[in-house]
Amino acid sequence: MDKSVLELRNLCKSFGALTVTNDLSFTVEPGEIHALIGPNGAGKTTLIQQIYGAVQPDSGQVFLNGREITGLGVPERVQAGIGRSFQISNVLMDFTVLENAIVAEQARLGQSFRFLRPAFSDKSLKAGASKILSRVGLEDRAMQPASDLAHGERRMLELALALATAPKVLLLDEPMAGAGLEESQRMTEIIDQLRGQVAILLIEHDMDAVFRLADRITVLVEGAIIATGTADDISNSSAVQAAYLGSA
Amino acid sequence: MSGIRNLIGLVYEGVKDNRLLWLLIIGFALFPIITHFADLPFWNDVAMRIMLLGMAAMGLNLVLGYGGMVSFGHAAFIGIGAYCAGISQFYGITNGWVHLGFSIITCGFAGLVIGYLALRTSGIYFIMITLAFAQMLFFLFVSLEAFGGDDGMSIDRAEFGFIDLYDPLRLYFLIWIALVVVGMGLMFIVRSRFGVTLRAIKSNASRVEAMGLSPLRFKIVGYVISAVVCGIAGTLFASWQEYVSPDIMHWTRSGELMIIIILGGLGTLAGPLLGAIVFLLLEECLPLLLGAAAPAYAENWMILFGPLLIMVVMFGRGGLIGLLSQLQVRRNARSDHRGP
Amino acid sequence: MTLTLILEQTFNGLQAGVTLFLVAAGLTLILGIMDVVFLAHGAQVMIGAYAAAAVAAATGNFYIGLFLAIPVTFASGYVLEFLLIRHLYRRDHMEQVLATFGLILFFNELIRIGFGPAALYSDLPRSLSGFVEILPGAPYPIYRLWVILVGLACAIGIHIFVSRTRIGAMVRAGANNPEMTAALGINIKILFRFIFAVGACFAGVAGMMLGPITAVQPGMGEPLLILSLVVIIIGGVGSVRGAFIAAIIVGLIDTLGRVFLPAMLRSVVDQATADGAGPAVASMLVYITMAVVLIFRPTGLFPAKG
Repeated sequence: MDKSVLELRNLCKSFGALTVTNDLSFTVEPGEIHALIGPNGAGKTTLIQQIYGAVQPDSGQVFLNGREITGLGVPERVQAGIGRSFQISNVLMDFTVLENAIVAEQARLGQSFRFLRPAFSDKSLKAGASKILSRVGLEDRAMQPASDLAHGERRMLELALALATAPKVLLLDEPMAGAGLEESQRMTEIIDQLRGQVAILLIEHDMDAVFRLADRITVLVEGAIIATGTADDISNSSAVQAAYLGSA
Repeated sequence: MSGIRNLIGLVYEGVKDNRLLWLLIIGFALFPIITHFADLPFWNDVAMRIMLLGMAAMGLNLVLGYGGMVSFGHAAFIGIGAYCAGISQFYGITNGWVHLGFSIITCGFAGLVIGYLALRTSGIYFIMITLAFAQMLFFLFVSLEAFGGDDGMSIDRAEFGFIDLYDPLRLYFLIWIALVVVGMGLMFIVRSRFGVTLRAIKSNASRVEAMGLSPLRFKIVGYVISAVVCGIAGTLFASWQEYVSPDIMHWTRSGELMIIIILGGLGTLAGPLLGAIVFLLLEECLPLLLGAAAPAYAENWMILFGPLLIMVVMFGRGGLIGLLSQLQVRRNARSDHRGP
Repeated sequence: MTLTLILEQTFNGLQAGVTLFLVAAGLTLILGIMDVVFLAHGAQVMIGAYAAAAVAAATGNFYIGLFLAIPVTFASGYVLEFLLIRHLYRRDHMEQVLATFGLILFFNELIRIGFGPAALYSDLPRSLSGFVEILPGAPYPIYRLWVILVGLACAIGIHIFVSRTRIGAMVRAGANNPEMTAALGINIKILFRFIFAVGACFAGVAGMMLGPITAVQPGMGEPLLILSLVVIIIGGVGSVRGAFIAAIIVGLIDTLGRVFLPAMLRSVVDQATADGAGPAVASMLVYITMAVVLIFRPTGLFPAKG
């Protein structure tokens, strides 16, 4: 049997008396887009933090392609193949769009500890960076300072930088947060094109995007999974309806 | 052969992008000619102090301006560098190259230890911890009675092989060459992949983490480099002054370095050198000014300096270099306005 | 190494500790709640010392000196916050460092102009001079004992205030989560100004009490400032309880270390090394302690932020 790209086993996390992750186990399979949905406060972001390495679970394990990464810090997990885009855009505001991509590119190539040649004028770095930007259609904004970008463009840059590390599994934390209709559609198309190339764990509230993109959907309520399945399974599930309608 | 041509090409590019820095450095090379003809050799001494102070400030600027680490302890590295020369002389080691080597190794090591302990924290903690470590080293040298303790000790100038440092011009150009080397080195570092990563960490450390890099590692390396640069400045300073004492590493000296950097322009290569020029000129001129205006208070010129500093901090965006570039922008706008 | 000596030095250490606490208490709140690197806190110590000494010299009465100097230091803190410090809150740390560094230069020079560069020596008040026997055969200066008691009283007072009053609760909330506290509608501006002034007050009290036992001179506050930064690092930024415990620890280590370490070293290594290294290590002891704490607890022993 093919190994899952990402596997969570019995993950538990409490903050004081509040249990945020309740004995959670699930997988993300190679090439699939797996959406994670649930009402606010369900613990989705904390879960992402535990996969990403920013938060340590109280118990349980995280596996990447069969290899346990529970004890690793964020940079090691990123190098192992975890990519992440942040819910609130987290780009290098003091740099231009192209420079953002160059820093990502040189990081991917493991060249960051070099002291001689100028980085921003390096032809091969610029070429690699342009490729990163063209994946999300930001090439013509390359020379703009990141702080000048419109919100939607910044979300695109966010996605581009997440892809730049050549991840095996991509954690997308509400990529469409605050994006307008047109931007959401563009983002949806781009994510759709990634299907098969990289496994994606998608947190989103935008149900149109979720139902269009997701191969599988997992519903999280109060730190525990109440349902996993295809889009049809989920929309027909009474448990899910109860959870959403109940908390409305 | 092509390697050397590449290197020259890189140097040329770097100099082109950092004209002000190299203009200033060339200015320093030509300065002794002026003082020779004006018969004011005293000003060569001032220029040497400026070069050394500027060198140390450039070292600190790597972590402060480019790396965003507010280290309040860098005077300690200047002091360690100075005492490397002093202690070596005390034990009869007069070779200046040995002094420099000793200084580089010691400051590198001290930078590594202090950097590792301090850089795991940030913000106010980091500032306080670097200050505390600097104070610790200050007290260490104060208590070393063998090397003069609080009073310090006189030492001879180092011997750099065939260069006789008691000839003031040769000392001047030795310091100048060191400035060129440091300036060149920092210029390369700041533009390199390492330097770019360091600047990215200052801008957004969590984004750099998300790219798979460990910010702490880069900060420590940057810190060590800056410590070594300050150490070199300190070693040469000890030779120039022919005297070492703990005062050189009093914590207020670290404050001076920061003042210089902010005067000139944070996060620029030329800023620290420009700031050093202005700072030392102020130090010479403010007492004269106050002496002319209110002779009774001539000794208390410092009282002007405090509020001046506060003004610069509150209203002086980007230091002198920021001011210069604003004037440039305005000049460009005006010439655009005049039309074709 | 007699019992008398140990006892005497322990009490000296306690006295140094409570003095440090008075300086560190205000500073830890300023650093923790307002996130301002206020380097000129040492200047507040100096202002308090000079105010008390000047009034005492003018009136001939030590207590009147204290009594009048307290509102002076409160006012100086209040005015300083209003004029300058409140503009520094949104600035980055380096700018705060430089601005408050400029304040130090200014105040030191101002005092030098007003009172001259030489040190002022004030007399011990008659009522507090002399010795008392804390143990038979172990005399100890009454004044220093009084300083310890005043310091402890202040510590208890601060503790009651911070943990039992409404304003104290706001202060604690501010130390734990400044943004949330402001969001709760508490008038942060006045709270900050008040904390600042009170902190200045306690620093001033430390200076006032130091008057008779050390030299009152320009720049006297800075060594205390740096030492109290060490106290805050060990105790945890924003934590008054941490500041107290750490201050006592630092006071004891510094005092006892300087007196006994060289002697203790002599029993371990040879005389020459001990005499050379002893004072050096003793002077660094406090900082070595700080470094050790940092290795295991980078945010101090009792960090306020949860």
